[in-house]
Amino acid sequence: MDVIVEEVTKVWPGRGGADLVALERFTHRFASRRFSCLLGPSGCGKSTLLQIVGGLEPATSGAVRVVDPARPGEARPPGADSVMVWQGLNLFPWRSVLDNVAFGLEMQGVPKRERHERSRTLIASVGLAGFEHHLPGQLSGGMRQRVALARALVLDRAVLLMDEPFAALDAQTKIVMQEELARIFDRTHKTVIFVTHAIEEAILLGDEVVVMSARPGRIKEVLAVDLPRPRTLGMVSTPAFAALFDRVFHLIREEVMTSMAQQAAALGAA
Amino acid sequence: MTLAERTLPGIVVVAFILAWEAFVRVRGIAPIYLPAPSSIAVYLWRMIADGSLPVNLGITLGRVLGGFAVAAVAGVGLGVLMGMSRLVARIADPWIAALYPLPKIALIPLLLTWLGTGEAYKIVISAVTAFFPIVISAYAGIREVDRELMKAAEDLGASRRQVQLKVVLPAAVPSIFAGLHLGMGVTIILVIAAEMIGGSSTSGMGYLLMQAGQVMETEKVFADLVVLALVGALVVKLQRWIDSKVAPWAH
Repeated sequence: MDVIVEEVTKVWPGRGGADLVALERFTHRFASRRFSCLLGPSGCGKSTLLQIVGGLEPATSGAVRVVDPARPGEARPPGADSVMVWQGLNLFPWRSVLDNVAFGLEMQGVPKRERHERSRTLIASVGLAGFEHHLPGQLSGGMRQRVALARALVLDRAVLLMDEPFAALDAQTKIVMQEELARIFDRTHKTVIFVTHAIEEAILLGDEVVVMSARPGRIKEVLAVDLPRPRTLGMVSTPAFAALFDRVFHLIREEVMTSMAQQAAALGAA
Repeated sequence: MTLAERTLPGIVVVAFILAWEAFVRVRGIAPIYLPAPSSIAVYLWRMIADGSLPVNLGITLGRVLGGFAVAAVAGVGLGVLMGMSRLVARIADPWIAALYPLPKIALIPLLLTWLGTGEAYKIVISAVTAFFPIVISAYAGIREVDRELMKAAEDLGASRRQVQLKVVLPAAVPSIFAGLHLGMGVTIILVIAAEMIGGSSTSGMGYLLMQAGQVMETEKVFADLVVLALVGALVVKLQRWIDSKVAPWAH
Protein backbone atom coordinates (compact mmCIF):
# COMPACT_ATOMS: atom_id res chain seq x y z
CA MET A 1 0.00 0.00 0.00
CA ASP A 2 1.19 3.48 -0.87
CA VAL A 3 0.42 6.15 1.67
CA ILE A 4 -0.05 9.41 -0.19
CA VAL A 5 0.01 12.51 1.96
CA GLU A 6 -1.14 15.59 0.08
CA GLU A 7 -0.73 19.13 1.37
CA VAL A 8 -1.59 18.11 4.93
CA THR A 9 -1.78 20.99 7.39
CA LYS A 10 -2.58 20.60 11.06
CA VAL A 11 -3.41 23.54 13.28
CA TRP A 12 -3.95 23.04 16.99
CA PRO A 13 -6.25 25.76 18.28
CA GLY A 14 -4.47 27.68 21.04
CA ARG A 15 -5.69 29.88 23.84
CA GLY A 16 -6.38 33.52 22.98
CA GLY A 17 -6.27 32.91 19.24
CA ALA A 18 -2.62 31.86 19.29
CA ASP A 19 -3.03 28.83 17.09
CA LEU A 20 -0.18 26.39 16.75
CA VAL A 21 0.68 25.24 13.25
CA ALA A 22 2.09 21.76 13.77
CA LEU A 23 2.29 20.73 10.13
CA GLU A 24 2.24 22.89 7.04
CA ARG A 25 1.44 21.56 3.57
CA PHE A 26 3.23 18.27 4.12
CA THR A 27 3.32 16.29 0.91
CA HIS A 28 4.99 12.94 0.44
CA ARG A 29 4.37 9.53 -1.01
CA PHE A 30 5.32 6.76 1.39
CA ALA A 31 5.78 4.04 -1.17
CA SER A 32 4.73 0.42 -0.82
CA ARG A 33 7.16 -1.88 0.93
CA ARG A 34 9.48 0.96 1.72
CA PHE A 35 10.84 1.72 5.16
CA SER A 36 10.61 5.49 5.63
CA CYS A 37 12.08 7.24 8.61
CA LEU A 38 10.71 10.62 9.67
CA LEU A 39 13.42 12.61 11.36
CA GLY A 40 13.15 16.03 12.90
CA PRO A 41 13.56 18.14 16.03
CA SER A 42 11.04 17.65 18.83
CA GLY A 43 7.78 19.48 18.23
CA CYS A 44 8.09 19.36 14.44
CA GLY A 45 4.82 17.48 14.05
CA LYS A 46 6.22 13.99 13.35
CA SER A 47 3.86 12.25 15.76
CA THR A 48 0.95 14.40 14.61
CA LEU A 49 1.56 13.31 11.03
CA LEU A 50 1.62 9.68 12.11
CA GLN A 51 -1.72 10.06 13.90
CA ILE A 52 -3.27 11.71 10.84
CA VAL A 53 -1.98 8.92 8.59
CA GLY A 54 -3.36 6.38 11.09
CA GLY A 55 -6.80 8.01 10.94
CA LEU A 56 -6.65 8.85 14.65
CA GLU A 57 -6.57 12.60 14.18
CA PRO A 58 -8.21 14.65 11.43
CA ALA A 59 -6.09 16.95 9.26
CA THR A 60 -7.04 20.62 9.28
CA SER A 61 -6.67 20.62 5.50
CA GLY A 62 -5.20 18.36 2.87
CA ALA A 63 -5.75 14.62 2.48
CA VAL A 64 -4.25 11.23 3.15
CA ARG A 65 -5.00 8.49 0.66
CA VAL A 66 -3.99 4.88 0.98
CA VAL A 67 -3.72 3.23 -2.40
CA ASP A 68 -2.88 -0.26 -3.55
CA PRO A 69 -0.40 0.25 -6.44
CA ALA A 70 -2.07 -2.64 -8.27
CA ARG A 71 -5.39 -0.79 -8.10
CA PRO A 72 -4.49 2.90 -8.32
CA GLY A 73 -8.09 4.01 -8.82
CA GLU A 74 -9.32 2.91 -5.37
CA ALA A 75 -8.34 5.11 -2.47
CA ARG A 76 -8.93 3.68 1.00
CA PRO A 77 -9.54 5.82 4.09
CA PRO A 78 -6.56 6.46 6.41
CA GLY A 79 -6.35 4.01 9.25
CA ALA A 80 -8.05 1.07 7.57
CA ASP A 81 -4.80 -0.54 6.48
CA SER A 82 -2.43 0.70 9.16
CA VAL A 83 -1.59 -0.07 12.74
CA MET A 84 0.45 1.96 15.21
CA VAL A 85 3.26 1.04 17.60
CA TRP A 86 3.27 3.74 20.25
CA GLN A 87 6.12 5.45 21.99
CA GLY A 88 4.33 4.83 25.30
CA LEU A 89 3.50 1.27 24.17
CA ASN A 90 -0.06 1.57 25.53
CA LEU A 91 -0.34 -2.08 26.47
CA PHE A 92 -3.44 -2.96 28.45
CA PRO A 93 -2.03 -3.64 31.93
CA TRP A 94 -4.91 -5.90 33.00
CA ARG A 95 -4.56 -8.17 29.98
CA SER A 96 -2.05 -10.98 29.70
CA VAL A 97 0.53 -10.94 26.91
CA LEU A 98 -1.71 -13.30 24.94
CA ASP A 99 -4.82 -11.17 25.39
CA ASN A 100 -2.92 -7.98 24.59
CA VAL A 101 -1.70 -9.43 21.33
CA ALA A 102 -5.13 -10.87 20.55
CA PHE A 103 -6.93 -7.57 21.28
CA GLY A 104 -7.26 -6.41 17.67
CA LEU A 105 -8.50 -9.83 16.51
CA GLU A 106 -10.95 -9.93 19.41
CA MET A 107 -12.40 -6.57 18.34
CA GLN A 108 -12.88 -7.96 14.84
CA GLY A 109 -14.82 -10.86 16.28
CA VAL A 110 -12.28 -13.57 15.40
CA PRO A 111 -13.22 -16.70 17.40
CA LYS A 112 -11.19 -17.31 20.54
CA ARG A 113 -9.36 -20.42 19.36
CA GLU A 114 -8.24 -18.87 16.13
CA ARG A 115 -7.16 -15.55 17.63
CA HIS A 116 -5.21 -17.31 20.37
CA GLU A 117 -3.51 -19.53 17.84
CA ARG A 118 -2.51 -16.62 15.61
CA SER A 119 -1.38 -14.59 18.62
CA ARG A 120 0.74 -17.45 19.96
CA THR A 121 2.53 -17.69 16.62
CA LEU A 122 3.33 -13.98 16.69
CA ILE A 123 4.39 -14.09 20.34
CA ALA A 124 6.79 -16.90 19.51
CA SER A 125 8.16 -15.03 16.52
CA VAL A 126 9.16 -12.05 18.70
CA GLY A 127 10.83 -14.44 21.15
CA LEU A 128 8.28 -14.39 23.96
CA ALA A 129 7.08 -18.00 23.88
CA GLY A 130 6.37 -19.08 27.46
CA PHE A 131 5.31 -15.60 28.57
CA GLU A 132 1.77 -15.76 27.16
CA HIS A 133 0.13 -15.56 30.57
CA HIS A 134 2.33 -12.90 32.10
CA LEU A 135 0.94 -9.44 32.68
CA PRO A 136 2.79 -6.52 31.04
CA GLY A 137 3.80 -5.27 34.49
CA GLN A 138 5.77 -8.47 35.05
CA LEU A 139 7.94 -7.99 31.96
CA SER A 140 11.08 -5.95 31.27
CA GLY A 141 10.99 -2.89 29.01
CA GLY A 142 12.38 -4.78 26.03
CA MET A 143 9.86 -7.59 26.45
CA ARG A 144 6.99 -5.13 26.69
CA GLN A 145 8.27 -3.58 23.47
CA ARG A 146 8.07 -6.98 21.80
CA VAL A 147 4.49 -7.43 22.99
CA ALA A 148 3.56 -4.06 21.47
CA LEU A 149 5.20 -5.09 18.21
CA ALA A 150 3.43 -8.46 18.16
CA ARG A 151 0.10 -6.80 18.94
CA ALA A 152 0.49 -4.62 15.86
CA LEU A 153 1.90 -7.33 13.57
CA VAL A 154 -0.78 -9.92 14.33
CA LEU A 155 -3.31 -7.81 12.43
CA ASP A 156 -1.14 -8.13 9.31
CA ARG A 157 -2.03 -4.66 8.08
CA ALA A 158 -0.08 -3.37 5.09
CA VAL A 159 1.15 -0.21 6.79
CA LEU A 160 3.08 -0.13 10.05
CA LEU A 161 3.27 3.22 11.85
CA MET A 162 5.95 3.48 14.52
CA ASP A 163 6.22 6.47 16.83
CA GLU A 164 9.70 6.45 18.40
CA PRO A 165 9.07 2.90 19.58
CA PHE A 166 12.56 2.34 20.97
CA ALA A 167 13.08 5.72 22.61
CA ALA A 168 12.55 4.41 26.13
CA LEU A 169 14.82 1.37 25.83
CA ASP A 170 18.36 1.06 27.14
CA ALA A 171 21.14 1.12 24.54
CA GLN A 172 21.70 -2.66 24.33
CA THR A 173 18.02 -3.57 24.14
CA LYS A 174 17.55 -0.88 21.51
CA ILE A 175 20.20 -2.44 19.27
CA VAL A 176 18.59 -5.87 19.58
CA MET A 177 15.15 -4.47 18.80
CA GLN A 178 16.42 -2.49 15.81
CA GLU A 179 17.99 -5.59 14.31
CA GLU A 180 14.84 -7.55 15.00
CA LEU A 181 12.68 -4.92 13.33
CA ALA A 182 15.00 -4.91 10.29
CA ARG A 183 14.64 -8.70 10.15
CA ILE A 184 10.84 -8.51 10.39
CA PHE A 185 10.80 -5.88 7.64
CA ASP A 186 12.95 -8.02 5.35
CA ARG A 187 10.50 -10.87 5.87
CA THR A 188 7.15 -9.09 5.64
CA HIS A 189 7.89 -6.02 3.49
CA LYS A 190 5.29 -3.78 4.95
CA THR A 191 5.11 -0.08 4.28
CA VAL A 192 6.75 1.34 7.37
CA ILE A 193 6.65 4.93 8.58
CA PHE A 194 9.03 5.19 11.49
CA VAL A 195 9.30 8.36 13.55
CA THR A 196 12.57 8.94 15.36
CA HIS A 197 14.92 11.69 16.42
CA ALA A 198 17.98 9.44 16.33
CA ILE A 199 19.96 9.94 13.12
CA GLU A 200 21.80 6.63 13.37
CA GLU A 201 18.56 4.71 13.86
CA ALA A 202 16.94 6.44 10.87
CA ILE A 203 19.80 5.53 8.53
CA LEU A 204 20.26 2.03 9.89
CA LEU A 205 16.59 1.11 9.44
CA GLY A 206 15.30 3.25 6.59
CA ASP A 207 15.21 3.03 2.82
CA GLU A 208 14.70 6.75 2.95
CA VAL A 209 15.09 9.44 5.57
CA VAL A 210 12.56 12.25 5.46
CA VAL A 211 14.12 15.19 7.26
CA MET A 212 11.58 17.62 8.64
CA SER A 213 11.96 21.28 9.50
CA ALA A 214 11.28 22.83 12.89
CA ARG A 215 7.71 23.94 13.53
CA PRO A 216 5.70 24.27 11.41
CA GLY A 217 6.73 20.85 10.18
CA ARG A 218 7.51 20.72 6.48
CA ILE A 219 9.76 18.43 4.49
CA LYS A 220 13.27 19.79 4.39
CA GLU A 221 14.85 17.05 2.39
CA VAL A 222 14.35 13.40 1.49
CA LEU A 223 17.47 11.26 1.37
CA ALA A 224 17.59 7.79 -0.10
CA VAL A 225 19.55 5.25 1.94
CA ASP A 226 21.14 2.83 -0.53
CA LEU A 227 22.84 0.58 2.01
CA PRO A 228 22.29 -3.10 1.15
CA ARG A 229 19.83 -5.29 3.03
CA PRO A 230 19.82 -7.15 5.34
CA ARG A 231 21.05 -4.32 7.50
CA THR A 232 23.39 -5.02 10.35
CA LEU A 233 24.84 -2.89 13.05
CA GLY A 234 28.29 -3.37 11.48
CA MET A 235 27.31 -1.00 8.67
CA VAL A 236 27.50 1.92 11.06
CA SER A 237 31.29 2.00 10.59
CA THR A 238 31.25 2.00 6.75
CA PRO A 239 32.17 5.16 4.78
CA ALA A 240 28.77 5.18 3.04
CA PHE A 241 27.02 5.28 6.41
CA ALA A 242 29.34 7.99 7.67
CA ALA A 243 28.69 10.15 4.61
CA LEU A 244 24.92 9.85 5.06
CA PHE A 245 25.19 10.54 8.76
CA ASP A 246 27.16 13.68 8.05
CA ARG A 247 24.59 15.00 5.58
CA VAL A 248 21.63 14.31 7.82
CA PHE A 249 23.46 15.72 10.82
CA HIS A 250 24.00 19.06 9.15
CA LEU A 251 20.40 19.25 7.95
CA ILE A 252 19.09 18.42 11.40
CA ARG A 253 21.48 20.69 13.24
CA GLU A 254 20.03 23.83 11.65
CA GLU A 255 16.50 22.72 12.50
CA VAL A 256 17.33 21.89 16.08
CA MET A 257 18.86 25.36 16.48
CA THR A 258 15.70 26.93 15.03
CA SER A 259 13.53 24.78 17.28
CA MET A 260 15.53 25.77 20.37
CA ALA A 261 15.26 29.46 19.45
CA GLN A 262 11.48 29.00 19.09
CA GLN A 263 11.24 27.38 22.50
CA ALA A 264 13.31 30.14 24.09
CA ALA A 265 11.10 32.77 22.45
CA ALA A 266 7.96 30.99 23.68
CA LEU A 267 9.33 30.91 27.23
CA GLY A 268 10.26 34.58 27.01
CA ALA A 269 6.75 35.48 25.86
CA ALA A 270 5.14 33.53 28.69
CA MET B 1 12.51 -9.72 57.71
CA THR B 2 14.74 -9.72 60.73
CA LEU B 3 13.86 -11.62 63.90
CA ALA B 4 12.94 -8.35 65.62
CA GLU B 5 10.64 -7.33 62.79
CA ARG B 6 8.88 -10.67 62.99
CA THR B 7 8.47 -10.98 66.74
CA LEU B 8 8.37 -7.46 68.16
CA PRO B 9 4.85 -6.49 67.01
CA GLY B 10 3.38 -9.48 68.85
CA ILE B 11 5.54 -8.89 71.91
CA VAL B 12 4.40 -5.26 72.10
CA VAL B 13 0.72 -6.30 72.02
CA VAL B 14 1.22 -8.84 74.80
CA ALA B 15 3.27 -6.36 76.83
CA PHE B 16 0.55 -3.73 76.44
CA ILE B 17 -2.16 -6.09 77.71
CA LEU B 18 0.01 -7.23 80.63
CA ALA B 19 0.81 -3.62 81.57
CA TRP B 20 -2.88 -2.73 81.43
CA GLU B 21 -3.76 -5.69 83.66
CA ALA B 22 -1.03 -4.81 86.15
CA PHE B 23 -1.98 -1.14 86.18
CA VAL B 24 -5.65 -1.86 86.95
CA ARG B 25 -4.80 -4.38 89.69
CA VAL B 26 -2.05 -2.42 91.42
CA ARG B 27 -3.95 0.86 91.43
CA GLY B 28 -7.24 -0.87 92.28
CA ILE B 29 -9.19 0.96 89.56
CA ALA B 30 -12.96 0.44 89.60
CA PRO B 31 -14.15 -1.71 86.67
CA ILE B 32 -16.76 0.90 85.63
CA TYR B 33 -13.87 3.17 84.63
CA LEU B 34 -11.37 0.70 83.30
CA PRO B 35 -11.88 -3.05 83.60
CA ALA B 36 -8.88 -5.39 83.49
CA PRO B 37 -8.27 -7.30 80.24
CA SER B 38 -8.89 -10.56 82.07
CA SER B 39 -12.40 -9.53 83.12
CA ILE B 40 -13.12 -8.17 79.64
CA ALA B 41 -12.18 -11.60 78.32
CA VAL B 42 -14.57 -13.25 80.78
CA TYR B 43 -17.41 -10.97 79.69
CA LEU B 44 -16.55 -11.54 76.07
CA TRP B 45 -16.83 -15.27 76.59
CA ARG B 46 -20.14 -14.94 78.45
CA MET B 47 -21.62 -12.76 75.71
CA ILE B 48 -20.57 -15.27 73.10
CA ALA B 49 -21.95 -18.15 75.15
CA ASP B 50 -25.34 -16.54 75.82
CA GLY B 51 -25.63 -15.65 72.15
CA SER B 52 -26.08 -11.90 72.62
CA LEU B 53 -22.83 -11.08 70.84
CA PRO B 54 -23.14 -13.34 67.79
CA VAL B 55 -26.81 -12.45 67.30
CA ASN B 56 -26.30 -8.69 67.49
CA LEU B 57 -23.14 -8.84 65.43
CA GLY B 58 -25.01 -10.77 62.77
CA ILE B 59 -27.80 -8.20 62.74
CA THR B 60 -25.33 -5.33 62.43
CA LEU B 61 -23.40 -7.05 59.65
CA GLY B 62 -26.66 -7.70 57.80
CA ARG B 63 -27.49 -3.99 57.94
CA VAL B 64 -23.95 -3.08 56.84
CA LEU B 65 -24.19 -5.41 53.87
CA GLY B 66 -27.63 -4.06 52.97
CA GLY B 67 -26.54 -0.42 53.11
CA PHE B 68 -23.28 -1.16 51.33
CA ALA B 69 -24.98 -3.11 48.55
CA VAL B 70 -27.41 -0.27 47.86
CA ALA B 71 -24.61 2.31 47.90
CA ALA B 72 -22.30 0.18 45.74
CA VAL B 73 -24.87 -0.51 43.03
CA ALA B 74 -26.14 3.07 42.91
CA GLY B 75 -22.71 4.68 43.32
CA VAL B 76 -20.80 2.57 40.81
CA GLY B 77 -23.74 2.72 38.39
CA LEU B 78 -24.09 6.49 38.48
CA GLY B 79 -20.32 7.07 38.56
CA VAL B 80 -19.78 4.94 35.47
CA LEU B 81 -22.68 6.62 33.66
CA MET B 82 -21.28 10.04 34.55
CA GLY B 83 -17.87 9.04 33.25
CA MET B 84 -19.26 7.81 29.97
CA SER B 85 -21.85 10.48 29.27
CA ARG B 86 -21.10 14.17 29.58
CA LEU B 87 -24.81 14.91 29.79
CA VAL B 88 -25.31 12.68 32.83
CA ALA B 89 -22.20 14.19 34.44
CA ARG B 90 -23.50 17.70 33.88
CA ILE B 91 -26.87 16.89 35.42
CA ALA B 92 -25.49 14.98 38.42
CA ASP B 93 -22.57 17.26 39.19
CA PRO B 94 -24.37 20.12 41.02
CA TRP B 95 -26.28 17.62 43.18
CA ILE B 96 -23.13 15.82 44.23
CA ALA B 97 -21.27 19.07 44.80
CA ALA B 98 -24.09 20.33 47.04
CA LEU B 99 -24.82 17.13 48.97
CA TYR B 100 -21.32 15.67 49.39
CA PRO B 101 -20.09 18.15 52.04
CA LEU B 102 -23.32 17.78 54.08
CA PRO B 103 -22.65 15.72 57.23
CA LYS B 104 -24.95 12.81 56.54
CA ILE B 105 -25.76 12.14 60.22
CA ALA B 106 -27.57 15.48 60.12
CA LEU B 107 -30.20 13.64 58.07
CA ILE B 108 -31.06 11.27 60.94
CA PRO B 109 -33.94 13.35 62.40
CA LEU B 110 -35.49 13.71 58.96
CA LEU B 111 -35.11 10.02 58.15
CA LEU B 112 -36.61 9.05 61.52
CA THR B 113 -39.64 11.19 60.66
CA TRP B 114 -39.98 9.69 57.20
CA LEU B 115 -39.02 6.11 57.76
CA GLY B 116 -39.47 5.49 61.48
CA THR B 117 -36.92 3.56 63.48
CA GLY B 118 -36.96 0.33 61.47
CA GLU B 119 -34.48 -1.32 59.17
CA ALA B 120 -35.18 1.05 56.27
CA TYR B 121 -33.83 4.03 58.18
CA LYS B 122 -30.57 2.30 59.11
CA ILE B 123 -29.95 1.07 55.60
CA VAL B 124 -30.86 4.39 54.00
CA ILE B 125 -28.65 6.51 56.26
CA SER B 126 -25.64 4.25 55.74
CA ALA B 127 -26.25 3.87 52.01
CA VAL B 128 -26.64 7.62 51.48
CA THR B 129 -23.36 8.25 53.28
CA ALA B 130 -21.42 5.52 51.49
CA PHE B 131 -22.88 6.51 48.11
CA PHE B 132 -20.80 9.67 47.80
CA PRO B 133 -17.23 8.36 48.07
CA ILE B 134 -18.22 5.46 45.81
CA VAL B 135 -19.79 7.59 43.07
CA ILE B 136 -16.98 10.15 43.17
CA SER B 137 -14.23 7.51 42.89
CA ALA B 138 -16.00 5.66 40.08
CA TYR B 139 -16.52 8.87 38.14
CA ALA B 140 -12.91 9.97 38.63
CA GLY B 141 -11.65 6.51 37.66
CA ILE B 142 -13.53 6.53 34.38
CA ARG B 143 -12.60 10.13 33.58
CA GLU B 144 -8.92 9.65 34.29
CA VAL B 145 -8.42 6.72 31.95
CA ASP B 146 -5.38 7.35 29.77
CA ARG B 147 -6.56 8.88 26.44
CA GLU B 148 -3.64 7.25 24.64
CA LEU B 149 -4.79 3.82 25.79
CA MET B 150 -8.22 4.53 24.31
CA LYS B 151 -6.63 5.76 21.06
CA ALA B 152 -4.50 2.63 20.88
CA ALA B 153 -7.63 0.48 21.21
CA GLU B 154 -9.37 2.51 18.53
CA ASP B 155 -6.34 2.03 16.28
CA LEU B 156 -6.54 -1.72 16.82
CA GLY B 157 -10.09 -1.63 15.50
CA ALA B 158 -12.22 -1.19 18.61
CA SER B 159 -15.55 0.57 18.16
CA ARG B 160 -16.60 3.33 20.56
CA ARG B 161 -18.63 0.83 22.53
CA GLN B 162 -15.78 -1.67 22.63
CA VAL B 163 -13.42 1.05 23.86
CA GLN B 164 -15.83 1.79 26.72
CA LEU B 165 -16.37 -1.84 27.68
CA LYS B 166 -12.94 -3.32 27.01
CA VAL B 167 -10.66 -0.43 27.95
CA VAL B 168 -12.32 2.31 29.98
CA LEU B 169 -14.21 0.07 32.37
CA PRO B 170 -11.35 -2.31 33.27
CA ALA B 171 -8.92 0.60 33.52
CA ALA B 172 -11.21 2.23 36.09
CA VAL B 173 -11.50 -0.87 38.28
CA PRO B 174 -8.76 0.08 40.81
CA SER B 175 -10.32 3.49 41.36
CA ILE B 176 -13.80 1.97 41.68
CA PHE B 177 -12.49 -0.46 44.30
CA ALA B 178 -10.78 2.34 46.21
CA GLY B 179 -14.19 4.03 46.41
CA LEU B 180 -15.81 0.81 47.61
CA HIS B 181 -13.21 0.54 50.40
CA LEU B 182 -14.04 4.02 51.61
CA GLY B 183 -17.75 3.30 51.27
CA MET B 184 -17.51 0.14 53.37
CA GLY B 185 -15.75 2.00 56.18
CA VAL B 186 -18.39 4.72 56.20
CA THR B 187 -21.23 2.18 56.10
CA ILE B 188 -19.98 0.45 59.26
CA ILE B 189 -19.70 3.78 61.09
CA LEU B 190 -23.18 4.91 60.08
CA VAL B 191 -24.93 1.63 60.90
CA ILE B 192 -23.39 1.58 64.40
CA ALA B 193 -24.27 5.26 64.88
CA ALA B 194 -27.84 4.70 63.71
CA GLU B 195 -28.21 1.81 66.15
CA MET B 196 -27.00 4.03 69.00
CA ILE B 197 -29.44 6.87 68.44
CA GLY B 198 -31.76 7.00 71.45
CA GLY B 199 -34.42 4.35 71.42
CA SER B 200 -34.29 3.80 67.68
CA SER B 201 -33.01 0.28 67.94
CA THR B 202 -33.42 -2.83 70.04
CA SER B 203 -30.69 -4.83 68.35
CA GLY B 204 -27.22 -4.59 66.82
CA MET B 205 -23.77 -3.77 68.12
CA GLY B 206 -24.59 -0.07 68.51
CA TYR B 207 -27.56 -0.89 70.68
CA LEU B 208 -25.49 -3.32 72.75
CA LEU B 209 -22.84 -0.67 73.31
CA MET B 210 -25.35 1.97 74.29
CA GLN B 211 -27.17 -0.34 76.69
CA ALA B 212 -24.00 -1.53 78.38
CA GLY B 213 -22.77 2.05 78.69
CA GLN B 214 -26.00 3.26 80.26
CA VAL B 215 -25.91 0.68 83.04
CA MET B 216 -22.15 1.15 83.44
CA GLU B 217 -21.24 -2.39 82.44
CA THR B 218 -17.94 -1.13 81.12
CA GLU B 219 -16.63 -4.68 80.66
CA LYS B 220 -19.36 -5.24 78.09
CA VAL B 221 -18.56 -1.95 76.38
CA PHE B 222 -14.95 -3.05 76.01
CA ALA B 223 -15.94 -6.51 74.84
CA ASP B 224 -18.09 -4.89 72.12
CA LEU B 225 -15.23 -2.61 71.10
CA VAL B 226 -12.82 -5.54 70.83
CA VAL B 227 -15.26 -7.38 68.58
CA LEU B 228 -15.87 -4.31 66.41
CA ALA B 229 -12.14 -3.70 66.01
CA LEU B 230 -11.54 -7.33 65.01
CA VAL B 231 -14.44 -7.35 62.57
CA GLY B 232 -13.21 -4.07 61.04
CA ALA B 233 -9.74 -5.48 60.55
CA LEU B 234 -11.22 -8.61 59.00
CA VAL B 235 -13.32 -6.59 56.55
CA VAL B 236 -10.28 -4.59 55.43
CA LYS B 237 -8.27 -7.82 54.93
CA LEU B 238 -11.12 -9.34 52.94
CA GLN B 239 -11.39 -6.31 50.70
CA ARG B 240 -7.64 -6.35 50.02
CA TRP B 241 -7.86 -10.01 49.13
CA ILE B 242 -10.76 -9.40 46.72
CA ASP B 243 -8.74 -6.53 45.18
CA SER B 244 -5.73 -8.71 44.58
CA LYS B 245 -7.97 -11.28 42.87
CA VAL B 246 -9.94 -8.83 40.71
CA ALA B 247 -7.17 -6.37 39.76
CA PRO B 248 -3.79 -8.00 40.40
CA TRP B 249 -2.22 -5.69 37.80
CA ALA B 250 -2.90 -2.61 39.92
CA HIS B 251 -0.51 -3.68 42.69
